[in-house]
Amino acid sequence: MSTPSAEPARLLAADPVSLAAKDVHLSFGSNAVLRGVDLEVPAGSTAAIIGPSGSGKSTLLRTLNRLHEPDRGDVLLDGRSVLKDDPNALRQRIGMVFQHFNLFPHRTVLDNVTLAPRKLKRLGGDEARELGLVQLDRVGLRHKADVRPATLSGGQQQRVAIARALAMAPQLMFFDEATSALDPELVKGILALIAELKADGLTLVVVTHEMGFAQSTADAVAFMDHGQVVESGPPQKLFEAAETERLQRFLSQVL
Amino acid sequence: MISIRVSRSTDGYVANMTRLLKTAVTTLVALLVLAMGWAPAAGADVDQCAPPGVQSASALPTNLAAAATGPGADKYTTEAVPALDSVNRDALGLGTPGVLVVGTLSDAPPSICIDSAGQFTGFDNELLRAIADKLGLRVNFVGTEFSGLLAQVASRRFDVGSSSITTTDARRKTVGFTNGYDFGYFSLVVPTGSPITGFEKLAAGQRIGVVQGTVQEAYVVDTLHLDPVKFPDYNTVYASLKTRQIDAWVAPSQQAQGTVQPGDPAQIVENTFSLDNFVAYAVAKENKPLIDALNSGLDAVIADGTWSRLYSDWVPRALPPGWKPGSKAVPAPQLPDFAAIAAAKAPNDGAGSAPKSTLAQLKDAFGDWDLYKQAIPDLFKTGLPNTLILTFCASIIGLILGMLLAVASISQAWWLRWPARVYTDVFRGLPEVVVILIIGLGFGPVVGGLTNNNPYPLGIAALGLMAAAYVGEIFRSGIQSVEAGQLEASRALGFSYPESMRLVVIPQGIRRVLPALVNQFISLLKASSLVYFLGLIASQRELFQVGRDLNAQTGNLSPLVAAGLFYLLLTIPLTHLVNFIDDRLRRGRQITEPDDPLDPEHPARTQEMV
Repeated sequence: MSTPSAEPARLLAADPVSLAAKDVHLSFGSNAVLRGVDLEVPAGSTAAIIGPSGSGKSTLLRTLNRLHEPDRGDVLLDGRSVLKDDPNALRQRIGMVFQHFNLFPHRTVLDNVTLAPRKLKRLGGDEARELGLVQLDRVGLRHKADVRPATLSGGQQQRVAIARALAMAPQLMFFDEATSALDPELVKGILALIAELKADGLTLVVVTHEMGFAQSTADAVAFMDHGQVVESGPPQKLFEAAETERLQRFLSQVL
Repeated sequence: MISIRVSRSTDGYVANMTRLLKTAVTTLVALLVLAMGWAPAAGADVDQCAPPGVQSASALPTNLAAAATGPGADKYTTEAVPALDSVNRDALGLGTPGVLVVGTLSDAPPSICIDSAGQFTGFDNELLRAIADKLGLRVNFVGTEFSGLLAQVASRRFDVGSSSITTTDARRKTVGFTNGYDFGYFSLVVPTGSPITGFEKLAAGQRIGVVQGTVQEAYVVDTLHLDPVKFPDYNTVYASLKTRQIDAWVAPSQQAQGTVQPGDPAQIVENTFSLDNFVAYAVAKENKPLIDALNSGLDAVIADGTWSRLYSDWVPRALPPGWKPGSKAVPAPQLPDFAAIAAAKAPNDGAGSAPKSTLAQLKDAFGDWDLYKQAIPDLFKTGLPNTLILTFCASIIGLILGMLLAVASISQAWWLRWPARVYTDVFRGLPEVVVILIIGLGFGPVVGGLTNNNPYPLGIAALGLMAAAYVGEIFRSGIQSVEAGQLEASRALGFSYPESMRLVVIPQGIRRVLPALVNQFISLLKASSLVYFLGLIASQRELFQVGRDLNAQTGNLSPLVAAGLFYLLLTIPLTHLVNFIDDRLRRGRQITEPDDPLDPEHPARTQEMV
């Protein structure tokens, strides 16, 4: 964990936690989207989730932070079930970054970053501003603090979205296809930023189509298909010695 | 470091808009200044609401229709009245003790009208003042529409209705009446040179105008068995006759004589008369003490000559044989020999002035500069503030309630969603007039204590409730147009659903529907004129009503055009504001800046600029 010592400790991610999903089920009506997902992400490690479209990857992330309530199963942070917790308090511990950024277009870049700390952590104006600028610094966009998100490029918007998630000092971060909406030349920059966060010691769960990134950066890779984790393990094992026929076929299509 | 480049077309648009606005404002301001300066000089020579005097007397109509109903069995006029000093002033069932609140109209001179000073007057109202004097009561006149007058008397919104109301059995089912103080001829008014020369020439297929809800309507339908064209007021029906949009007008004689001016392209060709349906004041049916008291007062003003004086001054015509005002006990009033007076001036009248050309008629009706000068100060001092207050207060109610409706209508909970749905359907589905009348007349009595029977707050409430239904739908569409990702992102940060709506979704939704909202305010501004249906005192009149009263008083449409100009003064800037917002939302502010060295490419366009 290489924490840059120049930044005040409280502005960084809180102590990372481990994440576990146990037999998580979720259906929308008669459509079973998650059909018994098991997942283990040790504290401070990075898990990549890969799989075909519609396999339930994004839904899994939203179920883990309880934007969807699971029908069955359990979600644990540091070994403790969080399903009985206040879902709003739970989500404050988990940062989330979306494919389409979802920045608030009616607020400035800085306001996007500081909104949650100000309203949810009751940070004062100056303190919030300082925190926001530090987070924007971290993603290289301090100079854009006072513009509206729409004036930024896609890559810049996604950096702001990451800064926004980081500003709540999450113990865990989810990336939901964070580079899928970006032009190819911008993907690298965002992936590098995620790698930096891993280096800072955060626990990360990354849903991605970037197999190269999964291979190089993730500590573990989970392959999902039809609402289940079909195969998981270290990236070398999955990418070089896939056991299941489904993963082999998936890899043959994407690689 | 940020350079703002407005595109050329926007530039041109803004310039155009500015120029247009400037012209409009300059014109109106010039008009206002001129009018304010010259207004006092404007003569009241066009005032139809001044007593015409005894020299205008008319004899019994010689062309009285043969079909006139004879003296019917008068079972309503009382034999006698209680002594005046036996009246207990505290037991008259008045809303405010000592004050008669009187619902009246402004558009039927010389019987009922509003004079150039903004006071309700006319024969009926002056007589009522005299009667109230006898009873030691103060009179408070409130203008309203005839269509709502009797209902408002029945619901005790008004203690008395004074509007040359002819008593009929149908009306007696709704309200009670005093003894008669006047009588009604019907006149047949037709365009000059019309082939219709008498009531017997009226036939199916002709467009016969009447004012809705009047005895004339009943006469045309029940006695003549014809299908009339119904108008809301006397001015409109007469204006339609003059422009030959209708073939004939069956009018109350007083109105016809007051309205048809020498030189007008119209004439009174025949009169008929209804002895058994005298003219009386309307009072709530169950308020017998007030009816008795007014009858006592009426007999008293007949006995002391006041009735004769007012009658001679305002509506001098020979009494029909077999009829006199007041109870059966009071002696017949002494009146001058109207027939002789009429005969003496007949030759002068016969000459008449030459008919005016259509163009001159139009110019007279719409372009009377003196009337503009007379109207504008009133429009500015009374009409404009009231219109703005009504619109502003109703807007506030509409915005707050509309937002609640919008949030409720997208709620997961059926018990929030359903009431919001029903409310919206009902209030959007009803015509504005109906809502105003229902709220004003239906809820008026219920909250009478709270509002002190002042319909102004009720009008605001009705307008606001109506606006809320539309504003709610506008807000809902705006809120629902915000991408689901916005709510998701906000909730993922740890905000609750209400916090997310308040901080993230609703502010964006509102921005998107600003043009629609401004349009709604424009509608509301115009709908504010309907509040007059509830009855307003002179100082509460909004723009349209100020124009209309002056229109009623003069029979000229220029004051309405002047009122229209004021509406334009308010709405044109708003319409252009809509266009400006719309343009800005559609294209966004054109902001460019040097690209970030890290991401050297064009700004992303994935999110709409707001």
